Amino acid sequence: MKKIQAKNRPKNLNLLTIRLPINAVVSILHRASGVFLFLALPLFLLAFQASVHSAKSYAELADLLDGWFIKLVLIGLSWAFFHHFFAGIRHLLQDVHWMTSLQKARFSSRVVLWLVGFSVLTFAVCIW
Amino acid sequence: MLIELLTDKYPGMRFWLTQRLTALVMAAYFVLMLLILVIVRPEGFEGWRNFISPIWLRIATFLFFTSLCMHAWLGVRDVLRDYIFNVTLRQYLQIVVDILLVIYIVWLSVILWNL
Repeated sequence: MKKIQAKNRPKNLNLLTIRLPINAVVSILHRASGVFLFLALPLFLLAFQASVHSAKSYAELADLLDGWFIKLVLIGLSWAFFHHFFAGIRHLLQDVHWMTSLQKARFSSRVVLWLVGFSVLTFAVCIW
Repeated sequence: MLIELLTDKYPGMRFWLTQRLTALVMAAYFVLMLLILVIVRPEGFEGWRNFISPIWLRIATFLFFTSLCMHAWLGVRDVLRDYIFNVTLRQYLQIVVDILLVIYIVWLSVILWNL
C-alpha cells in the first residue's frame, strides 16, 4: 500500500507553475550568478590585462567601457557578483547555525535581496 | 572529531571546507580592495599601475585569484553533477573547465609578473 502511494504521488515539474519560496529563489540565484561569474572570468582577465598593459590599451578599454550597452552588461555582472557575495555570506552564517529557523531564513533572504538591490543601484549610479 | 572529518575518510568535507575558506579569502580581498580604492582613488593609467604594482598587492591578488579558481572549480563541478546526466559528456566538460581554470591562473600570473 505504502509503495503504491509513493509511486502515484503527484509531481509538478512545470517551471511556469512552480512558485518557489523566497529562500529557494535566493539559493537558485546564488547558483546561477556563480555560473555567470565563471563564464565572465575571461572578460575580467582581458579587461585587467588591457588596463595595465599600456597607456594606449588603458585608454581603449576606458573608451569601450563608456558605451551604454557595455555599461548595462557591467550592471548585469555587478548583480551576479553582489548576489553571489551576499547570498554566500548568508550561507556561511547558516553554516554556523545563525538564523536557520524557517522564519529567520525567510527574513535573511529578504535582507539579501535588499542589499543586492541597493548595491547594484549604487554601482549603476557610480558608473553612469 | 573535527580533525578526523578532514582526513581521507571524508573527502567531501575537505571540498566543503575549501569552498568556505576560499570564499572568506575572496570576501576579505574584495572588501579591503574596495576600501583602499575608495581612499586612494588612483587617477589614470599611471596612477592605476602604480597602485596595483606593489609586490604585496600582487601576491594578494594572486592568492585571491587562486582562491577564486578553486571556488569556481568546486561550484562548477557541483553544477555539472546536478544537471549533466551523461557521464561521458560530464567528464569531458569537467576536463574543459579544469583546463580553462589552469589557463586563467597562468594568464593572471603572466599579467602580474609583467607589471
